[in-house]
Amino acid sequence: MSAVLAQAVTLAQGGEVSTGEAVAFWILGPAAVAGALGMILARNAVHSALWLVLTMLSLAMIYLTQRATFLGFTQIIVYTGAIMMLFLFVLMLAGRDSSDSVVEVLRGQRLAAGLLGIGLAVLVVTLLGRSLTDTQIAAPLDPYSPEGGGAGGLGRLIFGDFLFPFELSAALLIVAAVGAMLLSHSGGKKTKKTQRELVEERFRGQHDRPSPLPGPGVFATANSVATPALLPDGSVAPESLSRIIDSAAAEEFRDEIREVSGTGPEADAHALITPAEGAEAPGGEGTDGQRADSEGDKA
Amino acid sequence: MLTSSVLTSGLLAQQGQPPGQGGAPEIDYLAILPIIIIFGAAAVGVLLEAVLPKHQRWSVQVGLSILAIVGAGLAFAYYVSDAPTEGITTIAGALSIDQPALFLWGTLLALGFGSILLIADRSVEPGGAFVAEAAIRPGTVQDRAQAQTTGMQTEVFPLALFALGGMMTFCAANDLLTMFIALEVLSLPLYLLCGLARRRRLLSQEAAVKYFLLGAFASAFFLYGLALLYGYAGSVKLADIATAAAGTDRSDALLFGGLGLLVVGLLFKGSVGPFHTWTPDVYQGAPTPVTAFMAACTKVAAFGGMLRVLTVAFESTSWEWRGVLWGVAIVSMVIGAILGLTQTDVKRMIAYSSIAHAGFLLIGTIALTDQGVSATMFYLLAYGFTTLAAFGVVSLVRDSSGEATHLSQWAGLAKRSPLIAAVFTFLLLALTGIPLTSGFVGKFVVFSAAIEDGMAPLVVIALVASAVAAFFYLRVIVLMYFSEPAEDGPTVSVPGTFTTAAITLGVAVTVLLGVLPTVVLDWATAGGGFAS
Repeated sequence: MSAVLAQAVTLAQGGEVSTGEAVAFWILGPAAVAGALGMILARNAVHSALWLVLTMLSLAMIYLTQRATFLGFTQIIVYTGAIMMLFLFVLMLAGRDSSDSVVEVLRGQRLAAGLLGIGLAVLVVTLLGRSLTDTQIAAPLDPYSPEGGGAGGLGRLIFGDFLFPFELSAALLIVAAVGAMLLSHSGGKKTKKTQRELVEERFRGQHDRPSPLPGPGVFATANSVATPALLPDGSVAPESLSRIIDSAAAEEFRDEIREVSGTGPEADAHALITPAEGAEAPGGEGTDGQRADSEGDKA
Repeated sequence: MLTSSVLTSGLLAQQGQPPGQGGAPEIDYLAILPIIIIFGAAAVGVLLEAVLPKHQRWSVQVGLSILAIVGAGLAFAYYVSDAPTEGITTIAGALSIDQPALFLWGTLLALGFGSILLIADRSVEPGGAFVAEAAIRPGTVQDRAQAQTTGMQTEVFPLALFALGGMMTFCAANDLLTMFIALEVLSLPLYLLCGLARRRRLLSQEAAVKYFLLGAFASAFFLYGLALLYGYAGSVKLADIATAAAGTDRSDALLFGGLGLLVVGLLFKGSVGPFHTWTPDVYQGAPTPVTAFMAACTKVAAFGGMLRVLTVAFESTSWEWRGVLWGVAIVSMVIGAILGLTQTDVKRMIAYSSIAHAGFLLIGTIALTDQGVSATMFYLLAYGFTTLAAFGVVSLVRDSSGEATHLSQWAGLAKRSPLIAAVFTFLLLALTGIPLTSGFVGKFVVFSAAIEDGMAPLVVIALVASAVAAFFYLRVIVLMYFSEPAEDGPTVSVPGTFTTAAITLGVAVTVLLGVLPTVVLDWATAGGGFAS
């Protein structure tokens, strides 16, 4: 969508588009659209955010080819640099392992929404495509004049023609900040619970489990969080597997785990006796017998 | 965000009109003083939240909010007393302070006053209708502990003032960019306020999330339409769009594509069907004072904005788009009237009634005559006060778990509290449009404006829809008067000063506009029209 708009802006350059500009557009435009699609389709929120970065960077480059240098760099520094990184921080803080629920509450809703959405997109794109042929063409920018694509032109617009909307956006920012505080900051005194209260709560079942999560364990081969803890019987403690981190280590240590848990090759009791009967067994029995004898003597 | 950057780059590309002529824009401070007072008080309110101890906040915030609205009202009255009839535009043409804008400002200030009274009430529910600590998760131990306390988040007062200021700006916005930011300024506080109910917090938070997601979606439509219209006209000013549309040498695809998307955003805010799907859930889940504020004031702002956009920018092309809005008005009236019949919850019923009323309002809006504009504004005023008082009454009928909104709980209410039942009956009759109430006069002026503009078939459909809608209003009245009250039914709380004042205000205006409509109608029709 933005690509089509950008094309409109490109065409508005006095009607003549240089080859370099056209090449840049046909590389950046599809990249911007791909980024936008990727942002919507990515399941992981962090991936979504990174796709959006791609779109923003492509747009910034398109602005630069339009000779709106100040706007282009502002787009990179402010949107891509500051805002998106802030966005990523928030995503990381909120937990990136949250994923969409795939349960469809209304039957057929997803299919209908998809079809209608594609229909609307086709409609708007064809509409814009048709309208590009007879759009009024604007004069090209001159970045070296005070009104052109530099900071001067933007400043004149913001503090001249659009002074009121600019001031009004202050109200918007105040509301956003107050809202974030309101919904996340709990100002009341938080008395820390004593250990006794915690224990009582645990055994009343107010927590998921009465004990802490299992640590690496006696037979741990590494102290990485990716290494699963082993229970006394050697099996992997499922609670020790992090949902966020892919437990590659668990796969790596599969053989050892199987060995320790006894699910590997059986440690056969007869294996000690049968093959080496002549060599070891008599000696062993002999020691026991001697011991029993000496005890008997004492008695 | 993206589209706005594209737009800015486009704005830079245009050099036909040198921006600002290098100087600071002229500002008529007297004319915009009401807006400045409201926004200023809201900002001061946020500051007070930071410095005041908790026990003082409520009284100071209530005092500040009421003072701000009264002060803005005085400034407004002073300006109206010798305002130029043809209206002015100020701040580089961003705001148009003309007769419709002034009428809607008066309406919004009066309705905002009533809403603030409802929001401030602490007598019906100890501690008010708002949660003490919004950050505490519902259903936890801490939540059960805070349910016993009587504090409330006093941020609701500055938030309500911000929303009110946004609405006033929205009615007067003379270019689409100002209108978009005003739309956000009025919406964002409402999303927050919806999620702050003291009782049934999960329902309230669900309402807030739904409203936020759908509202953001609608805002995106508005912004996209804005970008297309900018591409068409090379300007976001309504007057420039009108000039561009009058000449026919440009692509109509951008004009009508832009108009379509823009109107979707506006219709969403006005909860006109088929863009109404958020309305019942949000009206039901939000704290009742906030529902009253939304139902009364947001409608005024949305239709005020729609009147201005359609009349100023798109009058010359009305032949092309009017048919579509005919359809939308019919769909809205039919959805409101028919789905309203099936509702079992009082708040949801009034929500569907508001969708039907949005259809009636749209009829007046698309008339595009002076008479249509003044009729729509009168209807907004009348409907706003009636619905404000109706939600005020809804907040009084309670049982142990909070408001008793299920219709079965309202059975035999007249035997428990004849006064409240009588007041609610009167308000329902006003919503139906019975003579001697403001609802009748409102419908009468809107429908007669529509007939004069050649929309008789639409008026016939509207009359049928009103008759169908009358059934569910009357059903509640019958239920209140002719049923036996349940054993464990709800009690009717004795309202404190604030709620009493708000309900009295609403009922008084409903009666006054029903008996002596000329007082306000004269002002609404005094008509300098829109200045741009």
